[in-house]
Amino acid sequence: MKNAPARTPEITSVLVRTIAKLLFLPILVTAVAMLIKGYAQPGDGFSAGVVGALGILLQYLAFGRRTAERLPLVGFAGKGVFAGLLIALLVAATPVFLGQPVFTHYPPAGASVIYVGTIELITALLFDTAVFLMVMGFVLGGVQMIAQTIADEDEYRGPEATGPEFDASAGTDVEPSSGGGRR
Amino acid sequence: MTDQTLLVLPAGIPWVLAAVFALLDGRRRWVGRIAAVGLGVSFVSMVALALRVLRDGPVEVVAGNWPAGVGIVLRADALGVAFAVVSIGVMLVSLLYEVSLGMRSRTFPAVVLFMAAGLTGLFLTGDIFNFYVFFEVSVTAAYVLTSYRERDYQVRAAFIFAIVNLFGSVVFLIAAASLYHVTGSLEMQTVAERLGETSPNSAITIAVAIFVAFSLKLGLFPFHFWLPAVYVGSHPPVAAILSGALANIGSYGLLRFGGILPDQLALGTYAVLILGSASIIYGALQSISRSDVSEVLAYSAIGQAGYILLALGLGGPVGFSAAVIYAVVNSLNKALLFLVAGLRGPLVGAAFAVGALSVAGVPPAVGFIAKIAVFKAALAAGAGGGTAGAVGTVVFVTVIFVGGALSFVYMFQIYQRVFLAREPQGGHVEKPSPRATRALVGVLAALVLVFGLWPEPLLVLGEEAAAVLTGSPGDVSGGGDSP
Amino acid sequence: MILAFSLAVAVVFGSGVFLVIQRDLLRVVVGIVLISNSASLFIVAAGLTRGAVPIVPLPGGDGASASDPLVQAMALTALIITSSVTALLLSLIYRLYVSHDTMDIEDISVAELREAEALERKNRPEIEENPEKGPAAEELEERSR
Repeated sequence: MKNAPARTPEITSVLVRTIAKLLFLPILVTAVAMLIKGYAQPGDGFSAGVVGALGILLQYLAFGRRTAERLPLVGFAGKGVFAGLLIALLVAATPVFLGQPVFTHYPPAGASVIYVGTIELITALLFDTAVFLMVMGFVLGGVQMIAQTIADEDEYRGPEATGPEFDASAGTDVEPSSGGGRR
Repeated sequence: MTDQTLLVLPAGIPWVLAAVFALLDGRRRWVGRIAAVGLGVSFVSMVALALRVLRDGPVEVVAGNWPAGVGIVLRADALGVAFAVVSIGVMLVSLLYEVSLGMRSRTFPAVVLFMAAGLTGLFLTGDIFNFYVFFEVSVTAAYVLTSYRERDYQVRAAFIFAIVNLFGSVVFLIAAASLYHVTGSLEMQTVAERLGETSPNSAITIAVAIFVAFSLKLGLFPFHFWLPAVYVGSHPPVAAILSGALANIGSYGLLRFGGILPDQLALGTYAVLILGSASIIYGALQSISRSDVSEVLAYSAIGQAGYILLALGLGGPVGFSAAVIYAVVNSLNKALLFLVAGLRGPLVGAAFAVGALSVAGVPPAVGFIAKIAVFKAALAAGAGGGTAGAVGTVVFVTVIFVGGALSFVYMFQIYQRVFLAREPQGGHVEKPSPRATRALVGVLAALVLVFGLWPEPLLVLGEEAAAVLTGSPGDVSGGGDSP
Repeated sequence: MILAFSLAVAVVFGSGVFLVIQRDLLRVVVGIVLISNSASLFIVAAGLTRGAVPIVPLPGGDGASASDPLVQAMALTALIITSSVTALLLSLIYRLYVSHDTMDIEDISVAELREAEALERKNRPEIEENPEKGPAAEELEERSR
């Protein structure tokens, strides 16, 4: 384990990198489609968030942490959780100030909906976007946090110690080397 | 102010503040202060809600303007608000305590707020699955709190805590799914109504699963093994929050589901009573044999939980009201004792003594009221039961008395060791803690005394809460009857 | 179908319990994940109905032909909660791994005992005379047998 995959992206094969590059946009488009069509067809903010996050994690796998975090907005993933939470709370709480129960969505069932293309503009969509942000932010933020901790650890221990192979950007966690503890 | 605003405010404020504060550095003084003010506002609105509920009866809202039966029901009744008020109060005091000592972690205020949000939601929901979700929110916040300050043993304690509690959550989740399967509803009142028509076999299995899940949370005797490990290493305000606020989930859950499954509770009366008595005696004996303050308090928590279970098992309006009163009083006691145990300086010893008297159930402190309530429940249970009832009463009264006497012994053992030992331990003179922190603890101790001398609000709360459980809201048959 | 589901739940739950009682912390986490997933499986089993996609407007006009959406929502929520708690647990064991270089719970306890003793020896010099007789040393002795 001289070359930890996190620091030398070239260790992944050409095949993986090409596929990752090719799949990147389609995955994100699928995620957005699942998000906005969630009311007429299967899909919702959560599954959209998972699909989107997996798409970006694939970039982590193929090109390493540094390159992946250069993608727009990926660096702010951790903040996305709280932005999402605030939007969700806003959607939930607004009806209370209008004298309706929490989580009342507008426009109500049966009323006419504003269309943008084929997208129906309803507050439930905003709520799902918030969920989407939270899921994306949670997955990516968590991975970034662990990757960052490991990078700091390596720096601290010096280059010889490769550190524990619990590297999220390496994709797999190699055996936790617990054998040494048994006598 | 409309009912629903009142219902949403106490849970909504902590949610919003938690989301905001998670991005800020909690070690800054102003962040901690604003968080405390926010939690204070939440507490005040909760008290307002509680007064409203006690005056006008339960407040109910169906979320999302859905028809009843489809949407998630939020319901504030006397039982829920009683637990909510005391839990948020304990968390508020603990947060203020940490702010006055100086926060050492950036996430502490946010985590406490998340937990407050989860707990208020849990106490104010009328939906079983929603209950599970809020319960996970607050328990997850608790895992993070346990590992606060990141010492190795704290991280290990958090790990054990998380594993054990996750197991409990899974058992509860399975019970919730089974309830949905047999009744076709998750709304607590509907479930209670429909359970009578289902097969008693499935109902008793579900009841046992729920009992195990909440006993794990509460740390009752056979399920207590994780509790000392978690409390011993933890920081005083964290321990206070865990035992004064989080443990309430266990007692609340047992009571609430005892009201939903009254026939099963009546069937299991003997098991519940025996486990409760065993918990009291075991906790007291273990406490006496320990020397570390937090360890003694941890084992004492096991014993105190036994009283709640005993009162629950005795059942009937008197028993349920005793259980509620005991749970509320126990939260106050534990918060006071855990907070005081970390302090040094003038008047701290006095505050500890108040807490110790309260645990032992000696008159001026509020613990006396709680012990009397359990006594009354034991007597009431014996009154209608002939010879068997009389024997039972004698046994339980003895257990209660012996438990109380033992708790007196162990509490004052610690008092002697910690506050009366003249020579400073470890060769260094201990600095008195900040005045603000001591004042805070003093207020808590004063509260324990005030409620001891003027127990009416507590008794009314207990009676109203018991009425929720035994009474007619779901028109369930009249609660678990006495043995 | 009920038998298949209950067997599956039992096997998953049992494997989870087996892993939870291991000494390796990573296995414990995997075990608790399995236990949680058996609960999700149980939820699905408890409310499984076959029917059309439960999206309004319903194909048959009434709710009879649609499958029950609530069960799926519950299972999904349970999964989300499990996944976030798993992330927390993994970060906790990572934290332990960093400070002890092992994931074995007993090794960690022994190391902690040793640290506690070292601390106590520093505070109370009279123990110094007999450093071999600490609980950690005894524990080590016992385990080397």
